[in-house]
Amino acid sequence: MANNFEEEIRQLISNITEVPIEKLTLDADFFNDLNIDSLKAIEIVAAFEKKYRIIIPEQDIPKIRNLRKIIEYTVFPK
Amino acid sequence: MKWDKEKIKSILPQREPFLFIDEVIEIDGTERVVAVKNIKLDESFFEGHFPGNPVVPGVILIEVMAQASIILYSVAKPEITASHPDYYLGKVKAEFLSPVSPGDELIIETNRVKFLDNAAITEVIVKVNNKIAVKAELVFSIQKKK
Repeated sequence: MANNFEEEIRQLISNITEVPIEKLTLDADFFNDLNIDSLKAIEIVAAFEKKYRIIIPEQDIPKIRNLRKIIEYTVFPK
Repeated sequence: MKWDKEKIKSILPQREPFLFIDEVIEIDGTERVVAVKNIKLDESFFEGHFPGNPVVPGVILIEVMAQASIILYSVAKPEITASHPDYYLGKVKAEFLSPVSPGDELIIETNRVKFLDNAAITEVIVKVNNKIAVKAELVFSIQKKK
């Protein structure tokens, strides 16, 4: 069962991308499975940086390709 | 450091009558630029917007902010803009607070939110007589010419 933090992140991404929550599974690939483009990606990055007070370097963005990775990154930022 | 029209034209692909930045008057590192646009009575869009009642269209003000955003992006990412890429506006969240008319001097304050090699987000405020006329967040993409 998803925890509150996971649900919070899922909701945040869904609000930005307009991808329905039920499609935002832990391993769905943002780019290939959910058709999230570069403009949505930068909005997600900016929203996470603001909300969780982290810096996501540009070179890390291609590695954060699904919900599982973004949760890991937010909990344990580089 | 100030930029004149020639320097601006070396970065912006737009040309008259669709070039809407007259001067850059302030550059704070790679975080913020302040630009100026003087609204003249003979601007081409006033012919139809509106006859006898010239008001700057909101879409033109968006374009003003987009052009200022490209300039800030070029300051932060000169290695990307050196190849004269294409810029595509993707998303705009704007509030129009007061109308803009001929004779107004627009002060366009553009702030960096997030810049990547292929996309950018800026926050922009347009002031007239030190009062905010428009504020917006712009998301745009930067793509190499095919």
